[in-house]
Amino acid sequence: MKMSDLSWGLPSREQLRGYRIWDSYFTPAHGHPGADGSSALIADIERSRRAIELGHFEKLCYFPHVGLGTTTDAALEKLLREKPALVLKPLERWPDLLLGMIQLNANDVAASLDALNRWLRDGPMLGVYFPGGGPGALTCTHPNFHPLVARIAELKGVIMQHTWIKTGGKQGPGESTPAELAELAAKFPGQEFLCAHAGGEWEQGIRAVRDSPNVLIETSGFDATAGFIEMAVREIGPERIVFGSHLPSRSLGTELSKVTAADISEEAKKQILGGNFRRLLEQ
Amino acid sequence: MKRREMLQTTLFTAASAALLAGADDDDDFGGIIDSNVSLFHWPFRRLPLDDPGRLVAKLRSLGVTSAFAGTFEGFFHRDLSAANARLAAVCADHPELVAIGAINPALPGWEEDIHRCATLHGMPGIRLHPNYHGYGLDEPCVARLLDEAAKAGLFVQLAVSMEDTRTQSALASVPDVDLAALPAILAREKTARVQLLNYKPRGPLLPTLTDLPNLFFDTALADGTDAVASLIDAAGPDRVLFGSHAPFLIPEAALIRVHESDPDAATLRLILRANAERL
Repeated sequence: MKMSDLSWGLPSREQLRGYRIWDSYFTPAHGHPGADGSSALIADIERSRRAIELGHFEKLCYFPHVGLGTTTDAALEKLLREKPALVLKPLERWPDLLLGMIQLNANDVAASLDALNRWLRDGPMLGVYFPGGGPGALTCTHPNFHPLVARIAELKGVIMQHTWIKTGGKQGPGESTPAELAELAAKFPGQEFLCAHAGGEWEQGIRAVRDSPNVLIETSGFDATAGFIEMAVREIGPERIVFGSHLPSRSLGTELSKVTAADISEEAKKQILGGNFRRLLEQ
Repeated sequence: MKRREMLQTTLFTAASAALLAGADDDDDFGGIIDSNVSLFHWPFRRLPLDDPGRLVAKLRSLGVTSAFAGTFEGFFHRDLSAANARLAAVCADHPELVAIGAINPALPGWEEDIHRCATLHGMPGIRLHPNYHGYGLDEPCVARLLDEAAKAGLFVQLAVSMEDTRTQSALASVPDVDLAALPAILAREKTARVQLLNYKPRGPLLPTLTDLPNLFFDTALADGTDAVASLIDAAGPDRVLFGSHAPFLIPEAALIRVHESDPDAATLRLILRANAERL
């Protein structure tokens, strides 16, 4: 056997291109973009380039901080508020590759509502990310979410909510579980929600959102445990599953293989790897 | 010839390393050796590849021609003699699978299990689960076990984890193995050959571990787009072995990850096969 005989576990280039992969969960410098507002972020995007090329990704959506207090760095928060152009640097550098959804802070409703106007209504951001940790985290059943979700729905934005179900319980007071997201989603039946990481412990996560037709699960952020996508397709259907890469802190191998190696139809893979996220963004 | 003897005839030497380094990039390399698979049923869910035939077919399709196979029965069963016998019997039906018996030095009579693994079943190595079996690496039985294994010519695989602690059943919650005592033990047990399985290569202990010449690593949980490359940088290309932790994890995941890290051809030959042959 020769090295050139190996597929490396990847589908062919033609198959990958045919999937039209749109990554809903790209996490370069996810916690902090660098003291200057973008250098760590740009370095992490560069670091991900080989994986992006190997996977033949068409688009990747990341979650910029916009000065709403979603980091613990007061100087950075001030800088991002005073110089919002810094937020746009990655999008300007890779305009054909990147999409953005801003990190909201549900603990600060007024500032978050302003940010929705600044970044969603006026563009170029396409939605929001509610974090599961750090100073911007708040459990999504909190009433603070109601005016924010209502406004996001008016603006036709996409909502990505971080979720995990951890053995031993929550590791932070602001974490949310898929069951809590289902509770929020029931109040806004016209809005769709992305349940990031499918709760991590996906066997419970999938069950928790199974009866919530406006909740879709996102696939990244946990080990490449076998059987995940098969169960998700069986229980909620491929139309409610959205691929995320979690690059570069997770690998292409871990995240892409969950879908490409799953025992599901090629049509389902196309939906999960790009079609469903495009549908959400195009609404 | 028993499989263990066959493997011993292909022991890696400095000369073969030099040959590998000079090998043509696309010469026949013999196929991948996966140093980390397990057979039978994961205790908490059925897995798509938990039938040995399906697992072997999948591994074959990925270019894996040989796999070190432990048993999922190894971490909860107490009758490990029977578990290892079942493992050996199934592996005998699949020439791609190299049985790696489970040993629990907290059980009475574990020395006999080592003896059976080596002589009755012809296994080249054994696998430990200290976190599931309830002993620390600083306990005297560990040094004794490493010594016994070395005398029997067996390498030792130490499974640092089997599942992310965050997703385990609350009724069987098992922390990762604390490796703090390992450097001192391996400094004393110089003839032991130990491979860590499912180790996340990060944290303050990593530089100490990578300094141990008789410690090897696998790729199963080296996650992050450049994590395999970083592990190779830290440990050197001759002490990292391809390992997938299939069928619990999707085997493609580890293989794509190696490709994603973009090692040179000589390093790939070491990781994908030659290092496992040496072990």
